[in-house]
Amino acid sequence: MFKDRRTRSFLDAAALSRLAAVPLFARRPMQGTVSGRHPSPHRGSSVEFAEYRKYVPGDDLRRLDWRAYGRSDRFYVKEFEADTNLRCCLVLDTSGSMGFGPAGATKLDYARRIAGALGYLALQQGDAVGLSCVANGLARNILPKRNPAHLIALFDLLEETRPHGETQLALVLHELAETIRQRALIVIISDLFVEPDLLGSCFQHLRFRRHDVAVFHLLEAQEMEFNFRRPMRFLDMEGGTSIFADPTEIADRYHRALNAYLTELRRVVLESSVDYHRVLLDENYERVLTRFLVGRAHGKGAQ
Amino acid sequence: MSFLQPWLLAALPLVALPIIIHLINQRRYQTVRWGAMMFLLTANRMARGFARLRQYLIMAARMLAIAGLVFAVSRPLASGWLGLAAGGRPDTTIIVLDRSPSMQQKGIGGGDSKLATGVHQLAQTLATLKSAHWILIDSVTKKPVQLDSPEALLKSPAAEPTSAASDLPGLLEAAYEYTQANKSGRTDIWICSDLRQNDWNPRSGRWQALRESLLSLRQGVRINLLAYPEAAEGNFSVRVSDVRRVQNGPAADLVLSVRLAREGEDQSRASIPLHFEIDGARTEVMVEMDKSPYELKDYRIPLESKQPRSWGKVTIPADLNPADNDFYFAFEKPVPRHAIVVVEDNQVARSLQLAAAITPDPGITCSAEVVAAEQVANVEWEKVSLLLWQGPLPEGEAARHVQEFIKRGGYAIFLPPKVPGDREFLAARWKSWTDSASKDALVANWRGDQDLLANTQSGAQLPVGQLQIHRYCQLAGDFTPLAGLQGGSPLLARSTQNHSGAYFLATTTSPADSSLATDGVVLYVLVQRAMAAGAASLGTIRQLAAGEALPANLPDSWQRLAGPEDALSGAYPVHRGVYLAGDQLLAINRPMEEDQAPILDDGRVADLFAGLNFIRVDHRAGHIGILIEEIWRPFLFAMIVALIVEAALCLPRYVAKAGSPS
Repeated sequence: MFKDRRTRSFLDAAALSRLAAVPLFARRPMQGTVSGRHPSPHRGSSVEFAEYRKYVPGDDLRRLDWRAYGRSDRFYVKEFEADTNLRCCLVLDTSGSMGFGPAGATKLDYARRIAGALGYLALQQGDAVGLSCVANGLARNILPKRNPAHLIALFDLLEETRPHGETQLALVLHELAETIRQRALIVIISDLFVEPDLLGSCFQHLRFRRHDVAVFHLLEAQEMEFNFRRPMRFLDMEGGTSIFADPTEIADRYHRALNAYLTELRRVVLESSVDYHRVLLDENYERVLTRFLVGRAHGKGAQ
Repeated sequence: MSFLQPWLLAALPLVALPIIIHLINQRRYQTVRWGAMMFLLTANRMARGFARLRQYLIMAARMLAIAGLVFAVSRPLASGWLGLAAGGRPDTTIIVLDRSPSMQQKGIGGGDSKLATGVHQLAQTLATLKSAHWILIDSVTKKPVQLDSPEALLKSPAAEPTSAASDLPGLLEAAYEYTQANKSGRTDIWICSDLRQNDWNPRSGRWQALRESLLSLRQGVRINLLAYPEAAEGNFSVRVSDVRRVQNGPAADLVLSVRLAREGEDQSRASIPLHFEIDGARTEVMVEMDKSPYELKDYRIPLESKQPRSWGKVTIPADLNPADNDFYFAFEKPVPRHAIVVVEDNQVARSLQLAAAITPDPGITCSAEVVAAEQVANVEWEKVSLLLWQGPLPEGEAARHVQEFIKRGGYAIFLPPKVPGDREFLAARWKSWTDSASKDALVANWRGDQDLLANTQSGAQLPVGQLQIHRYCQLAGDFTPLAGLQGGSPLLARSTQNHSGAYFLATTTSPADSSLATDGVVLYVLVQRAMAAGAASLGTIRQLAAGEALPANLPDSWQRLAGPEDALSGAYPVHRGVYLAGDQLLAINRPMEEDQAPILDDGRVADLFAGLNFIRVDHRAGHIGILIEEIWRPFLFAMIVALIVEAALCLPRYVAKAGSPS
C-alpha cells in the first residue's frame, strides 16, 4: 500500500487489520460519486429492492415489472436502492491544548492514531478521505479523495502537524459546514474546549447540511481527576494567562465546572444527533474505534 | 489561668506554624502546562464559599491542635488565681496560719471548720505547686517551722485550732524576717485567715513598715491570701463578764454575769439555754435574748461545795462556731484588800484612807493603813493590794520595795508632792505645779472604755468631767494618759514600764487642789478599782485570755482540769480550759476581741497589700472543691478533637467527584 514503506508512529498494522474486519458505515444516506457501501438518497441498480413506482412515459421499458402488470393490468416500474461511496472529512484539532499529556501520548498523538486508522479504513473500502487541521483557523486542509496514493499525503500531514495556537473550532466547523459538499461523514477529533452552546450551533449547522457528524472527545485522566496536591501555576497551552491556584481549594469548583460542561455537552450532542464518543487517553484507541465502528454497523440505514 | 510549667508557654508561637508552612507551601508551587484552562477560569469565577471556609477551618484546627498541646504540657491550673505560679516554682513557701477561735467557724450545714478547710486546701494546693522549702508560721508561736512537705501541715500540731487571737502584722513580720535572714530565693507567702479585724489590726502603723520591708526584698515576694470572709450569721457567743463568790451566812453563792451576743443583723428574740457546770453540778437557765448583746446580770447560784475556791464553765448549744460556745471561770473566797497610804499632807491622807477602806461589798474586807515614807521597808507587801503615794517619788530602798510590789502585780497611784523635786520613778517625774487661777481647769477627756476610769457595767460614765482641778502638777516622762485637762496636761496617766499597775494622778485630794475628795465618786471608784485589780494578784485564781502574757511567777508545768483534751501540754496557755499551775487556778478563755469581731472589707484588705504582688481568693468553710487543679486533660482532648476535625476537613472529597463525570 505504501510505496516508500515508511513506518508511521501512529499506525499499527496489526490493529488496522483487526479493525478492517468491521466496515465503516454512514448513519444516513451519503452522496458519493461512485458506487460504494453506503446508502444513497437516489435509486440505483443494486440488488436491494426499494419500491414500485407507476410507469411514466420515458421510463426504460426494461425496468417494467411484467409480473405485476399480469396481476394488476397496470404498469409498474421496479426500483432498487443505490449504493454509493462517502466523503469522510477528518477534522483534527491541532490547537495548543491538544499537546497536553505525557510525552509521546499526548492528545494529538492519540488523535493521529484515530485519524490515521479511520482514514485508512475509509480509503480501503473505497471512500474518499480528507483532512482538516484546525487551530486558530483552518490551518491545513486536504480535500477528500479516494485515491489510495492520497493516503500518503494525509499521513504526511498527520505526521507534520504540531499543537499550536488557540482553538477556533467553532468558526472552522461553520466554515466546513458550508464548504464541504452535502451528505458527508465528518469526524471531529478534539478536546472540545469550546463553550457547548457554540458547539451546539456548529453541530446544528452540520446537521442542516445533512452531514453525518461523529465526534471523538479526547480527555486526559488528570484533567478529569485534577488530583494535584501542591499549589500549582497552570500555564495555558494556548497562550492565555497563567493561573496560580491551590488545588485543594479550587478542586471542588473545578469539578463543578467540568461536570456542568460535560452535562451541557451531552445535551448538545443529543439534540444534534452527533455520534459522540468521550475518550480518555489511557483507553486503547483500537477499542475506541471498534466501539465506534460496531455502533455504526448496528445503526446502518438510520436516517 | 495559671500554669505549673509556664516557661513552656514560650512555645506558643508554634501556633503560627501551620500558617508559616502554608505560606512556604505557597512559595514552593509547581508549574504545569495545562490545557483545560476553561474549567480553571470558570472555577475562579465561582463563589469560593465553603472551600475557602474549609481552608480557614483546617488552618484553625491545626493551630488549635498545637495550642492545645502547648497548653497541655504547660500544666494549666483551674483557678481564678490569675498569674499564680507565673514565675515557676518558688524557692520558699511560707504558710501564715491564723489559728484564732473565729477560724473554727463551720460552714452552713456543718462540715469542716474554716481552719480545717484552709489547711486541707493549702496542703493540696501547695503539693501541686511545689517548692524547695516549706515554712509554717502559726499565729501562736509566731516562729518559722520547716515542714517536710505540704502534707505535713495536716498532721502538724501547729495547725490545730487555739483560743488565742492572731496578730497578722506580727506573723508577716516574722515571715519577712525569715526571708531576710535566710536569704531565700523567690518566696511565696500564703496567708490563711478569716479577715477578722481584731486579728488583722488594720489601723496599726506596722502595716506601712511591713509593706516597705517586703517591697525592699530583692528576691521578690508574692502574697497569696486564702480568705474565709464568710460571717457567722446567727452565731451565738457566751462570755462570763463577772464572777464572784459571795458568802451567804454559812453557805456561799456564786454570782455570775453572763454576756450573750449574736453575730449579724438578726435582732429577733431567741431562747438560749445556759448550762452551768460548777464543781460537777449542772444548772440550766433559759434566757430570753431580746437584743444583742444581752447580759444576764448577777445570776446567783448556790454553791454546794465548801471549798474556798473552785472553777466552772458555762455552755450554750452548738452553733456555727463551737469555739465561742463555752466559757471557763474560776472563783475563790475574796481576798482581803489592803491599801498602804504614804502621804506628806494629812488632809490628803484622810480622804485617801477613806476611799480605800470603805468596802464596796459586805463580803469583801477592805482596810487602809497610813505609813510614813521612812517605814515603807517594814510593810508586809505580800498582803498589800494598793499603794497610794503622795509625796516625793520613792528612791533608794523604798523605791526598790515599791518596784517589787508593782512587779508582783500590785497597784500604785502616785500623787504629786507639795514641792516637786527632780526624782524620777518608773521613767516619770513631777515637774511643777500650775495654778488655774482665772478659771478652774476642767477635765477635757478621759478613757471611758478601759482602765480605772472606764464606764460602769451599766454603761454610765463616771462623773470625771464634773471634777474641778484648781491646781495640778505637770508630769514628764513615759506614760499613757488616761485623762487629760484642757490645755493638754495629763490628769491621770499610767506608766508604760513593764505593763505595771503604776498610775500618776496630777493633783491631790486636798480641797485646795481639786474636788476629788468633795466629789468623791471618781476618787472612790478609782481607788477601789485599783485595789480590786491589785488584790487579784494576791489571790490564787487567774482569769486569763488565751495567748496573753502570763504572770511572771507561774510554774512551767500545768495540770489540765477542764478543757479540750487534744491540746498539747505545752500549748495549754493558748487553749481554753481550767488549769492548775502550782497553787494558782487558771481559767483561760478566748480574748474578748474575738467575740463579734467585724470582718475586714475587700478594699481595706487590698489597701493593706497595696503595691505588693498580692493575690486573693475567697473560699468557704466546708467547701470540698479543689482550690487548684491541673486541667491538662481538657486541653489534650481539645487537641484530639482539633486533629479529628482537621482530618475530617482534609478528606479528599473531590476524589470521589472526579470519578463522577462519565
